[in-house]
Amino acid sequence: MPDTLQRLHFRIQTVTDVSDSRRKGMQLALDMGFAHADATKIAVVISELARNILIYAKTGTITVLADKEPDGPRCIKIIADDKGPGIPHLEQAMTDGYTTSGGLGLGLSGSRRLMDEFFVHSQVNRGTTVTAVKYLR
Amino acid sequence: MDSGTIQKLENLLLVAVPRDLTDDEVILMRRDILRAIRAYGSQVVLLDFTQVDICDSFFGRFIYSTSRMVQLMGATVIISGLQDAVIETMVELGMTLPDVEAVLDLDDALALSRRLGRNGSGPAPADGGLPEWEE
Repeated sequence: MPDTLQRLHFRIQTVTDVSDSRRKGMQLALDMGFAHADATKIAVVISELARNILIYAKTGTITVLADKEPDGPRCIKIIADDKGPGIPHLEQAMTDGYTTSGGLGLGLSGSRRLMDEFFVHSQVNRGTTVTAVKYLR
Repeated sequence: MDSGTIQKLENLLLVAVPRDLTDDEVILMRRDILRAIRAYGSQVVLLDFTQVDICDSFFGRFIYSTSRMVQLMGATVIISGLQDAVIETMVELGMTLPDVEAVLDLDDALALSRRLGRNGSGPAPADGGLPEWEE
């Protein structure tokens, strides 16, 4: 089992929750020793996932974990969870420029590029869970 | 919106983009920018991102839409002061800002705006003079 060193948990209901979660997530990444550019990427991914929660599901949660795999590198793990409408066309949703909200359509596809691992589990009318991991180098 | 974030400098409108902007504040700031262009007859709007350390796709959309609106007033948007980490993140995220010129700092922005000022005419200043800032 990974050894969880620190855990931040945010309820996402307003745009203030979005800025709060990305700001504190960035600080956690910096405290763990991530380079400034990588901490910035982590903050942006938190921001994109939190915004998706607001836009599509209205409410949900963001959890940010400072983890360590046994005999492995330390990592930061972002888990975005909601009980919203789910993503009907996941492959399209992971494509640059695809949007159903009028945004830039970069939230999921771009976030995946910014992280080392990126998993989306979504069920229509049940909700969506995104798990994103970045390793400390 | 703090009126100190928008200042006139020759034919340049200098906008210091705050570190954390809510969606509502973005819309208010954009309206302030458009009003100030009309009041001062500004030809160039400089969006300075020196204070911004997290630029997500929502912010990117703000830059792009502001640039389009400013163009419709006959002026041009230049962005400056993007931090290295912000640039790296924006590009990897896939944010492209077509038709938006970028400069390194205020000196370069001023040089570019002076060059544009000699060639273009820009919108004529409104009679009212200084704009009234929103709270």
